[in-house]
Amino acid sequence: MQPRQLASQVLNFALVLSTAFMLWKGLSVVSASPSPIVVVLSGSMEPAFQRGDLLFLWNRGLDTRIGEVVVYNVKGKDIPIVHRVVRRFGGGSTPLRLLTKGDNNAADDTELYAQGQNFLTRKEDVIGSVVGYIPFVGYVTILLSEYPWLKQIMLGIMGLMVVMQRE
Amino acid sequence: MSATTKIAVHSLADLKNTTDDALPNYLTSLKFKQFHTQTDIRLLLGYSAVAIAGVLFYFDWKHGWDATKAYTGPAVLVYFLLNGVFSYWMWAVEKGCVFEGEGKTGKIRISSTTKKHIPIYELSVTFSHPSSSLKQTIHIRAPFTRWFTSDGYFVAKPFQQWLASEIPIVGAADPNNVVEEIGRGSEAELERVLNASGVNVTDVLGQLKAGGGRKSGVSGRRRKG
Repeated sequence: MQPRQLASQVLNFALVLSTAFMLWKGLSVVSASPSPIVVVLSGSMEPAFQRGDLLFLWNRGLDTRIGEVVVYNVKGKDIPIVHRVVRRFGGGSTPLRLLTKGDNNAADDTELYAQGQNFLTRKEDVIGSVVGYIPFVGYVTILLSEYPWLKQIMLGIMGLMVVMQRE
Repeated sequence: MSATTKIAVHSLADLKNTTDDALPNYLTSLKFKQFHTQTDIRLLLGYSAVAIAGVLFYFDWKHGWDATKAYTGPAVLVYFLLNGVFSYWMWAVEKGCVFEGEGKTGKIRISSTTKKHIPIYELSVTFSHPSSSLKQTIHIRAPFTRWFTSDGYFVAKPFQQWLASEIPIVGAADPNNVVEEIGRGSEAELERVLNASGVNVTDVLGQLKAGGGRKSGVSGRRRKG
């Protein structure tokens, strides 16, 4: 195969990957959220959200109200949590602070927060409010993270398809 | 997908790609010098876009959203601009060009197309003779069956004969492959059958084309890759 032809095929594959990544980043910029789409990983918000639901987040307009469902990251933990705001303090000139609780949980989230933390700081901890969702489609990612070999198989198939097909 | 491998004859993409690959091989063997400028510009555009995405990915992964969010917006914008120019280049400038080059007998630029589900190879050939700047464009087409065996092997000779006979400056560079139809062989038979029903080959091709989709002046384009 000629070098230019090889370069073209590699480029096509790279463009597919980079376009997906840049669309994601574009969505991040528009929603001002580092992670504009998340998948619900636990049943703590049932019956509102099930495991595997795909949530769309919006992080502009930081004046979050009681009753809104927010996604936040706890310092030192990687997994984002989707819970409802049940109390708010401050706001305006002082930083807005929130207390959250899962609809399906008996207690509020103070147990889940980092050590010594009794509330969330809106600006720092919350990555967005839920503005829309698609039920169940995110279940694929749960499967992929629970069975990592599925990931390798999928990547392999995708790579093969791009290399084999030119049209 | 080189010319020697067996392809699936029912795959129009395979037929076209194999033929597209064989065309520059033949012309370069006739000492036509291939120009790569347009391909190189396309590659440059594409790889610049990919590089931007790659750098953003690296910094995002290394330093996180808070450090990179100021640059993410512009990077996304530039990426999609480059991507847009890349698509425009392929669609409006390259236009399915499979060979552009120059030989002793003149300059030549060849673009290939096929219509959906119709196994006919169509070429748009623009050429000029060495001493003149006058450009001529001809449209030629032939069924893939002319240079593919029924079990899917590409046969170079009939393909080269077709090109040499149809394109004057290729014929001038390779006079041995110029053939004249003398009323024998399968090609002539086909013509006789068609003549019997009172239509010529191009009409039948036109009908085939109209049957396969809306007939328009603009030929189908493909993303070259």
